[in-house]
Amino acid sequence: MSGEGRLGGRVLILGSIVASLLLVGAYLAAGGSSYEPKQIQDPCQPRPWSDPQTLAQIANQFTISALDGAACQLGVSRETLARALATPEARERFTERYGIDDEKLAKAVRAGLLRAVDDAEEAGALSPLLAAPLRRALEEIPLDQAIEIINDAQGFLGDVEGFLGPAKGIIEQLLPGGLGGLGLP
Amino acid sequence: MPESPRPRVAALALAVGLVLADSSIVVLALPEIYRELDTSISGVTWVLVSFNLVIALAAVPAALVARRVGPARTAAVGLAVFAGAGLACGLADELSTLILARCVQALGGAAAVTAALELLPATVGSERRSATVWAAAGATGAALGPAVGGLLTELVSWQSIFLIQVPVALVAAVPILSVARDEAATGIIETEVRRTGKPHLWANLALAMVSAAIAAALFLLVLLLIEGWRLSPIEAALVVSVMPLAAIIGSRLTDLVSDSRSRAAAGAILVSGGLAGLAFLPKATIVLTLPPQILVGIGLALVLSALTETALHGRSPQAIHGGWTISSRHAGVVIGLLALTPIFTADIEQQRHDAIDAGTAVILDSSVNPLLKIDVAERVSERLEEEQGKVPTIGPAFEPKPVDPVERSEVEQLQGELQDQLDRGATHAFSTSFILAALLGLIALFPIALSRRVDL
Repeated sequence: MSGEGRLGGRVLILGSIVASLLLVGAYLAAGGSSYEPKQIQDPCQPRPWSDPQTLAQIANQFTISALDGAACQLGVSRETLARALATPEARERFTERYGIDDEKLAKAVRAGLLRAVDDAEEAGALSPLLAAPLRRALEEIPLDQAIEIINDAQGFLGDVEGFLGPAKGIIEQLLPGGLGGLGLP
Repeated sequence: MPESPRPRVAALALAVGLVLADSSIVVLALPEIYRELDTSISGVTWVLVSFNLVIALAAVPAALVARRVGPARTAAVGLAVFAGAGLACGLADELSTLILARCVQALGGAAAVTAALELLPATVGSERRSATVWAAAGATGAALGPAVGGLLTELVSWQSIFLIQVPVALVAAVPILSVARDEAATGIIETEVRRTGKPHLWANLALAMVSAAIAAALFLLVLLLIEGWRLSPIEAALVVSVMPLAAIIGSRLTDLVSDSRSRAAAGAILVSGGLAGLAFLPKATIVLTLPPQILVGIGLALVLSALTETALHGRSPQAIHGGWTISSRHAGVVIGLLALTPIFTADIEQQRHDAIDAGTAVILDSSVNPLLKIDVAERVSERLEEEQGKVPTIGPAFEPKPVDPVERSEVEQLQGELQDQLDRGATHAFSTSFILAALLGLIALFPIALSRRVDL
């Protein structure tokens, strides 16, 4: 047999081009070019708080701010640090891989916690009266306790509120100028 | 009463199908071999590369030996070597032993396949009919290979893929042995075949490029399904079976268009279009792999048959020119695997990190109760540790689910979002490699355009 056969060669080629373009076009239109993992944010950039209402929501934002602050100091992503602090084994691998000693890690985690206090205060989730002593306490906190606070911010903030809450009420009553009279930031 | 040629034809077809299936049968077992022999993706790729490389190098010399020593004896010895090496592959407990045995297996395979092309014309009555039987047996073997390999890997073990080849090769060798005895008794009768034409450079070059694209398609898709989307070998075998099924449909089109160059061009375009589709999957869903696979399947049926016909048309002896086509196809497979393996290996590693980071971000930003979140994060971290270097299965990290319906719903949403990030990472990791494979298919259009038109 010779010639074009029952179907022309050009028709076959054209059909192949159309079928290929239709498939690729449809997949691109359905988001095929952007189907990739979510891009993570630079921890040194501010991450606004989203008006937390409950203690659990405040604790969540507090943890994220603390991780951002610590990660920014260490030059790693917030996500990498979160995984590193999840278990002692993960922490050991992280410090080995990035050549970070416990002192440097402690300093970064403390800096992160201080940023979290600042962010919480700025968002109106933590009163200045609670924020000031909290900052002082966090400045010298040992590494393990600092990590514990990040891992259980809710428990920590609950304790702080429980311990300082009544004192806050008394001070508010005693000082005519309220908290502003203390000259706290 | 004259002896019926059917058992001999069946034996030769079985031999060709078995050897050419071996090029792809092991694809679905590679993830299992990768885990069991504790190697790297690059390392395990050599289980495929070594076989294809040796066949590529040995096909033409094997055809020459078959013509000199006798095709039946060459085929019988080739099958015996193939069977013995298959046994060694099945017993190998180290990657280096497995690769060495695969090389020996390929030597035997090259001898059997090219000698079969020399034996078939006398058995079936005509050179054209023999080429059809030979091509059909090879295509069937290559098409069934991945599915059979997947089934055996999951139901028995990866070793069983090689061990089962031993009796099959020996069964195929039995009818050929009687011809070999005749050869020995009568001496070699050099078939008076006029040597016509040099190997068809452009058709063979196009075959190599297209084979590189097709091998990459199969290999990458299997890795995506098993390593990326965590399908079992049987499930993956079922999914990739769409490609050979589409190839059967595509082979029907061969009869509709006589111009082999147009068929080759259309086939190369479809293969590239399908590969580009796989590069831009909009979601990690099996159904979405089907249309691209259909294009690749139809395309490969069109392009491989058209280029093989062009390469063999008007050329003699068929065994030598058949050897060149085999050599080109397997060289293409080697090029495809060697060119793309380092690229997708690096991409997989990068995307794994990106997906895990994205997944961690999803956990941190979720509205789940912080204490529950920490618990989930710790369990996900454990999963990551357990599956170092691989995309983790995160389902177990979310068990048991909270009893409270609100918390349960939040945790289920979190699990879905986390899985989505991992799926995105795994799928995206293959995009560049699929695009490059598509380009290989398009590059084949140049030699196709330069090859002369053949109407059959």
